[in-house]
Amino acid sequence: MAQRRPDRVRGPGHDEFWAWCDKGELRLQRCASCGRIPWPIVQKCEYCGGSELVWEPMSGRAKIVSGCTFEYDYYKGMLPIPYETILVELEEGALFISNPVDLTWRDIEIDMPVKLTFLDCEDSAGAFKLPVFEKA
Amino acid sequence: MSEASLARMPPPSRDLSRKAAIVGVGETDFGADYKASRARAPGYEPPTTESLAITAFERALADAGLKREDIDGISVSFLYGGPSAEDTAKLVGIKPRHTMQTPGILAGPLPIVCTAIAEGKCDTVAMIYGVASRTSGRVFGGLAFTGGPGPTSYYYHHPWGWSSQAAHWALIWRRYQAIYGATEADLGSVAVQLRKNAMANPNAVMQTPLTIEAYLASRYIVRPLHLFDMCLVNDGAVCLIVRKADKARDMPHTPVLVAGWGEGRIKNDKFHYMVREQLRPQMQEAARQTYEMSGLAKSDVQHFECYDASSMHLINQVEGFDFAPRGGGLERFKSGEMAVGGAMPVNVAGGMLSGAYMHGWNHVAEITRQLRHEAGPRQIADIEVSMFSLAETDEVHPIIFQRGA
Repeated sequence: MAQRRPDRVRGPGHDEFWAWCDKGELRLQRCASCGRIPWPIVQKCEYCGGSELVWEPMSGRAKIVSGCTFEYDYYKGMLPIPYETILVELEEGALFISNPVDLTWRDIEIDMPVKLTFLDCEDSAGAFKLPVFEKA
Repeated sequence: MSEASLARMPPPSRDLSRKAAIVGVGETDFGADYKASRARAPGYEPPTTESLAITAFERALADAGLKREDIDGISVSFLYGGPSAEDTAKLVGIKPRHTMQTPGILAGPLPIVCTAIAEGKCDTVAMIYGVASRTSGRVFGGLAFTGGPGPTSYYYHHPWGWSSQAAHWALIWRRYQAIYGATEADLGSVAVQLRKNAMANPNAVMQTPLTIEAYLASRYIVRPLHLFDMCLVNDGAVCLIVRKADKARDMPHTPVLVAGWGEGRIKNDKFHYMVREQLRPQMQEAARQTYEMSGLAKSDVQHFECYDASSMHLINQVEGFDFAPRGGGLERFKSGEMAVGGAMPVNVAGGMLSGAYMHGWNHVAEITRQLRHEAGPRQIADIEVSMFSLAETDEVHPIIFQRGA
């Protein structure tokens, strides 16, 4: 059953990102000018201002940079607390906030390798696939 | 949200150094108002931004020994909304020739006001800040944050349940723990010290002792950060009277000169600079500008007040400004070096963790008292120079102050 989640940011660029997720692919924008991968979605490259951004598939390999556990109910019951969040560095270099699958704060270690998977979710715009990470 | 109000400050310039001084300071009753808001006795009337602003203004004016007609400029910094500068002038009964709507959080407003004074737009400015954060039930995470002028990181990661300032500092702290082998009790030493500092400040909100055991037993907000790692939420106002430096002599109190400021900003790769670098490059750049404008050096600084939205963020600044080595800030706290009497006292009135959540204004009010040598039992001996740092999740704005003649 799909998990209820707070709403995604939608609009140009953001919609393409989520459409790729729905196909089971994590694709981010690689800047054709400087080669960097900005994230979150940009309209122009945040590194060089370049406007040619190419949707590039990520390998899904990543490592944990940090993590934190939400104990305070900021989302007023929408997400059962406590729940885990992680910051991962994708193999391609982008830093990505996500959730770990089947890992608690006791299991999570800095630099631990993880791999991409998708979780069936829904928000007020409907069903979507959320990119999350499990132990590699 | 907060950062939306952090407009750019005028660029630092040697020509603007020491052109203006703080000659008056007024605060509302942070502790008493907090207690009253918690007790909610029958007939309790919560304060408004306006009522708080009037109190702070009248106290600052009296402190400066000035009359209403002496004030020819006003800047208002009502972070969460309030009357315009013009309406505030009417509210407090002044007729300024220059009015300014300034960002809510210090540091930005002070350089704006100093520049206006240097440009001859006004000579004596009442800078008024006020918030009714507690009364208005303000929440600092979740869906209260939406898209807009604020940082993307405040709202973009909602689908993963990630938001709030606390979560920013928690990611930094979790990584810091792993890199430097620090424990929760180590970080607790910051909250414990700042509570001691607050208890030496009769106007601070928190007046009961905090032990490491109580810190460790407190609930988590965003693990590994505990309740006591997060700043307070309280109502209040602060007014600073800032005057052209050559008119700031022969006043009731020693003037406190605004000697220099700077700015550092994350332009891209925010989570890298925040979580892996603790904003160090931005702090180093902002400090360089500040020292250059003021002609002062780090070795001149005897006191550091910084924006302690969280204990972890205080450590980011202590280390980022080189008042402690990287990974060494917590040891300095534990050894007492950051207490009054130590090598570099930090947030000596209790900061925002235990003093009052006045968005940097309480820190500058304390710097004013310290540099006047009027801080009572928490006075730092023979102090001449204090540094203030505002740092949020992606920008840094230090100001350096010097005791005038």
